[in-house]
Amino acid sequence: MSDATLAMGRDRRQLLLWLAPPLLWFAVFMVVPYGMLFYYSLGSTDYMTFKPGFSLVNLARVFQTEPYLSVLIKSARIGALTAIGATILAYPVAFCLAFHTRSARSKFIIYLLVIVPWWAAYLVKAYAWKTILGTSGILNAVLLNLHVISEPMTLFLYNQFSVVLTLVYIFTPFSILSIYAQLDRIPTSMLEASSNLGATTFETLTRLVIPLSLPGVVAGGIITFALATGDFIAPALVGGPDALMISNVVINLLGVAFDWPMAASIGIVVIGIGTALISVAQYLEHRAQVRY
Amino acid sequence: MTAIIEARQLQKHYGGPLAVRDVSFSVTEGEFLSLLGASGSGKTTTLRMIAGLETPTAGSVLFRGQDITHVPAAQRDMRMVFQDFALFPNLTVWNNVAFGLRLKINRGRVTHEEIKTRVGRYLETVMLSGHAQKLPHQLSGGQRQRVSLARALVTDPPVVLFDEPLGSLDASMRKSMQLELKRLHRELRKTFIYVTHDQEEAMGLSDRVAVLQDGCLLQIAPPNDIYFRPNSAEVARFVGAANVLEGIVESKGDGVAVVRLAGNARVEARDNTALAAVGDSVTVMLRAEQLRLSPAAPGTDGFVARVTERLFLGEKVRYELCVHGSNTRLSALDTGDQGGFQLGDDLSVSADPRHVRIIGQSPPQRSAP
Amino acid sequence: MRDLGSRRIAWSLGWSVIAFLYAPLLVMAVFSFNDSDFTGLPFLGFTWRWYSMLLADDRLLESVWNSVYVALGVVGLSTLFGLPAAIALDRFEFPGKRWFGRLVLLPIVLPGVITGVALLLFYMAMHLRLSLYTIMLGQGTGLMCVTITEVTARLRQMGHSVEEAARTMGANEWEVFQKVTLPGVLPALIGAMLISFSISFDEIAVTYLLTGRQNTLPMTLWSLLRREATPEVNAVSTLVIVASVLLIVFGTWLSRRGSGEPVVSPG
Repeated sequence: MSDATLAMGRDRRQLLLWLAPPLLWFAVFMVVPYGMLFYYSLGSTDYMTFKPGFSLVNLARVFQTEPYLSVLIKSARIGALTAIGATILAYPVAFCLAFHTRSARSKFIIYLLVIVPWWAAYLVKAYAWKTILGTSGILNAVLLNLHVISEPMTLFLYNQFSVVLTLVYIFTPFSILSIYAQLDRIPTSMLEASSNLGATTFETLTRLVIPLSLPGVVAGGIITFALATGDFIAPALVGGPDALMISNVVINLLGVAFDWPMAASIGIVVIGIGTALISVAQYLEHRAQVRY
Repeated sequence: MTAIIEARQLQKHYGGPLAVRDVSFSVTEGEFLSLLGASGSGKTTTLRMIAGLETPTAGSVLFRGQDITHVPAAQRDMRMVFQDFALFPNLTVWNNVAFGLRLKINRGRVTHEEIKTRVGRYLETVMLSGHAQKLPHQLSGGQRQRVSLARALVTDPPVVLFDEPLGSLDASMRKSMQLELKRLHRELRKTFIYVTHDQEEAMGLSDRVAVLQDGCLLQIAPPNDIYFRPNSAEVARFVGAANVLEGIVESKGDGVAVVRLAGNARVEARDNTALAAVGDSVTVMLRAEQLRLSPAAPGTDGFVARVTERLFLGEKVRYELCVHGSNTRLSALDTGDQGGFQLGDDLSVSADPRHVRIIGQSPPQRSAP
Repeated sequence: MRDLGSRRIAWSLGWSVIAFLYAPLLVMAVFSFNDSDFTGLPFLGFTWRWYSMLLADDRLLESVWNSVYVALGVVGLSTLFGLPAAIALDRFEFPGKRWFGRLVLLPIVLPGVITGVALLLFYMAMHLRLSLYTIMLGQGTGLMCVTITEVTARLRQMGHSVEEAARTMGANEWEVFQKVTLPGVLPALIGAMLISFSISFDEIAVTYLLTGRQNTLPMTLWSLLRREATPEVNAVSTLVIVASVLLIVFGTWLSRRGSGEPVVSPG
């Protein structure tokens, strides 16, 4: 055996040593469960008991039977609004962090100020908006005190607006971090070159900063979209009957209807969409990575 | 000739020691001025203050006699070539070069036709016509720098600023870019202000060189003067291979001063002798390539030194020498290895008095041994 | 000169967004001290009442411990399996590497509920009884990507030269791992541990489906919140936030001290 093949053999052993345990783990706890999801989606139920089968009826039902498709679309719309809203709110903060924070110390402090609300308890953040927007909530109390309204408004809570607002609130810190990562990569000399060539701030912004950060911002937006679309806490806490989202439907199918195949089918569809989204996000991120 | 740029007592303070202190100089129209110094000497900061990318803590910048200290960078009539090129990665070569002109279009100062012809012409000037549709990351380092050059020149600015533009290129690319810069300067007759830490580059390219150290301007003069007539030991050490030694003036007369160095070595100096009187401690400069070396023998000129290191450099050989009876060290360059001396050889070292320059008086507390 | 545009306008927009991020948390904290049976105005006076009520609530306290238990298990699992995965991804080329990388990231973008359903089907098929351990396995799988991405990023930053240097000096694989690789990735690893811990502590979507008789804190909170809640919930929430803030600040400080780069991990 030559030295090269010996080295290769050693490398292969090394690789197996490191890779086998995690690979096995993911096979057992991810591939098999997702596979079972697929298997269930092909079956049917008979009086709340599962019957194996091989039919695509359930997968077809996701797109054909109400309310599944419309809930899916509604969830996607809420997800998209969340991604857009969070991006809009996040941009100024990311901008300040990237372009108007000089010392490393103040950068660190702002950075902390951003990640604290991101990691702070999810449930609590959603619940906070319930206390603010509710009929006996802070917003109504303030408006009543100011005599803007004469009786508590029910308009604020239990609708799609409150769900989007809550989700935007939850995902803004994440958007800040992902946009900041993009803006921070823009070399200072590039901004200087732009102004040296006579560009105004606005021109530098529209011709350089925004186009340069766009792919990364969209990639971050896709993740936000995916997370928000699959959320079930915000709709359950602050959403009304018309703000039920796809995850809530899945839970109801399991817990109330015991329609496992249907729940599994929705799962498969969502996984399909999710995988496609990851690919798009990774592609965009890859495009944003080259250069400088 | 009139000054196009004038720096008046420029100062920059970042907290800590002054980055630039009291730097004043003026640049005439069409001149090629280099700001030469080690990193941290304040040369780049000075350039950036001229460009408007940095606001001076004190002092002012004048453009054709007008104070522009507080004019934003975007409104100054000068373009900069950056060390990292600072090309816009999302734009093609063509669009990078057209960037400045396109901004002018919005202000009605240039037409589409003009942009086309001018971008085309300058891409030709820097020999990149065939690469117009490429993105910056598809180009080599030298090509990128040429794009950045074309981008700076295309708007026809009277002043072009260079911040170590060749710093990130390899040696051979540097040499060819130096020639190109020299040619461009000759053809375009623009004012170039050029920051570099490479003394050869500064001397080779410029009409005048300004040497900076620790934020201070030490000397500003034509390359020839900087090389042969440095006004201080710092400048002498920075430029070329100079031996800066301390000694005492033993006698003076007929424009020649005899300076006694450590180890009783004596040299005659003819340059700048007015600076010192008999008995003074002085600093003298002996250029390495002007030392005459011969095998030590009784009756030969000069003082004796031993070869402690021999470095073959190709077109020349560098000898490190130690003066007999002291630990004074000297460098000598022998063109073409004419001497062919070996390690441990004792040499007789002498110098033409015309090339031995008294740079200044040494501080009295460090009187010569 | 990195300032782009008006500092004042940029910062006033920036600070208003930061204020928007903190206002609800502050409201929450303030009303946890309100001496009124309902969350909301008017503010009737300061009280510790809700906090002492909370300390007397056995069910709540028990769920806190359950959560800590689960989170520690998750941290252990994701370190045990995530670290080797990161090393394999960094050091070797192998067929399907890209797909493995994608598979690992999948739980981030998939709704937790879907992951939960898949695992639930799996447990049922294996006749596993739902318990804290089933939660641990589920969360561990989902959160392994945190460890993997953080550690891979750190390994990439480190490069291979140090490990190679150790090998040329005669270190065997175990010594290289123990003396070079592990100390090098430690800051990232600890950062990932803290992040995993705090996400696990907060996780609800997967947990919701996999929970058995014992509840984690978010599940207990969830059942409290679903009913029209008393300010006791605010008190718990405030404490949870304070705890997670401490954890984050500590974790960020630790990982920055180690690598000079902040751990930015979208979880």
